[in-house]
Amino acid sequence: MSASSHIRLANVNLHYPVVAYTHRSLAGMLAQLARGQRQIPALKSIHALKNVSTEIRKGERVALLGHNGAGKSTFLKTVAGLYPISSGRVDVNGSVRSLFDISLGFEPDATGRANILYRGLLLGLAPGFVRARESEIVDFADLGEFIDYPLATYSAGMQVRLAFAISTFVGGDILLLDEVIGAGDASFMAKARARITKLIDQSEILVLASHDLHTVSSLCDRGLVFHHGGLAFDGPIAEAIGAYRSMNGLPNG
Amino acid sequence: MREYFTGIWAARYFWMHLAAADLRARWRRSFFGLLWCILQPVGLTLILAFVLSRLFHTDIRFYAPYIISGSLVWEFIMAISVGGSLSFVQADAYIKYFRHPLAIYSLRTVIANLAVLGIASTSMYVWAAIVRPEMVGITWISALSVYPLVALVAWPMSTLLAYAGSRFRDLPNVLVLVMQAFWFISPVYFEVGMFRRGGLNKLVDYNPLYHLLQIVRAPLLEGKWPSATDYAFCFGTALFFICCAWLVGRKVERKIIFYL
Repeated sequence: MSASSHIRLANVNLHYPVVAYTHRSLAGMLAQLARGQRQIPALKSIHALKNVSTEIRKGERVALLGHNGAGKSTFLKTVAGLYPISSGRVDVNGSVRSLFDISLGFEPDATGRANILYRGLLLGLAPGFVRARESEIVDFADLGEFIDYPLATYSAGMQVRLAFAISTFVGGDILLLDEVIGAGDASFMAKARARITKLIDQSEILVLASHDLHTVSSLCDRGLVFHHGGLAFDGPIAEAIGAYRSMNGLPNG
Repeated sequence: MREYFTGIWAARYFWMHLAAADLRARWRRSFFGLLWCILQPVGLTLILAFVLSRLFHTDIRFYAPYIISGSLVWEFIMAISVGGSLSFVQADAYIKYFRHPLAIYSLRTVIANLAVLGIASTSMYVWAAIVRPEMVGITWISALSVYPLVALVAWPMSTLLAYAGSRFRDLPNVLVLVMQAFWFISPVYFEVGMFRRGGLNKLVDYNPLYHLLQIVRAPLLEGKWPSATDYAFCFGTALFFICCAWLVGRKVERKIIFYL
């Protein structure tokens, strides 16, 4: 792990160009003509992050709070380096591990065991490393003989268990979570929580976007409240939750 | 630039896995599986060679290797142009999740199709060796250079098309039309002599596809080394696409995620 993991954002603005979503198909134009409409309402680009500045240092556990569309996920994806910013500066130091979509890249026709390897390769791990850790993942997923059956034969809960077991066995300096993943039945859920907690403990920085205020207050010590793309509050988690509630007209819990 | 290629190398297990997954998906639950790579072009060649050799009064035995070399390379080019233009669109879930250089997704398309070309072309060598044993010799080594050469042209080309294809979703359909037109003016199935007799020398001499095909055809069908001009055209085409892909990529690479 690097000695000085940090996330720094200075006056960051991010615009989504919505031109990609304005339909310019022949069928659409004809339908519009038939309805007698002359012009499509022009869509403006969305200002998803508005002049956001913050610094997250090693050891911090940060929650992102805000209404839907406030900019939490955009913030996470910007930190993950996925979105290009329109202006400002983003400086992220440390290996980033994000858990956004844990089932991505599964092959339904392949066995659970083969999918462990595939998913590991998608995470950028060497085949040898994945094979060395395979039994550990198999034990954690606890699927019995099903581990050698094709994934298509799994129930939804079993698939989540396997996905969870694979995605969480390697951590990173900076852990980005979009909602804490709960998986499977009650007994597995307890195991999953323990695993996530361990992953968080191993990481130097946790950034968690969530609507679950109970989880947030137990896991995080600092809260960033987003409101319509802007960073509206930054401070200790208890105060952040209060600010979030009052901003969105929620009763104090 | 250097950082970009370091990123591609760092993600090697990722794109190698995707290319392998494409190949697995292609023949999933199929009885012949990988063998279809060979069965398809051989079957098509038999039919075409039978019909065309009657039409053009050529010897089917000699005409067939000509057709099979043309159809294999052509199939590859169609796959990496039309399929290549969809490389980013089809990888949208990965692009929205992992921060890798986008060129790995066109590389995946190229590698999967290169594997198909490699397996399929064994039928070409066998056929050529049977009907033209007198041509088998040291020059055959040069035929192997076609694989790195097509990859060198195909990777930047499909990357360029994938950039455009993410933004303009009509591109694959336009490409089918354009490529069909290109097919008609190229010596893929039609013999070079037919073009020359018709006074269409320029369609042959300045056609990169002709020169690319010569890398295989010169040794296999004529027992000769491909000419320096053939190689020059191939490298020139590759360089052209590398420059275009680099210029376009510099501007649009980071923004592609918004168009998926």
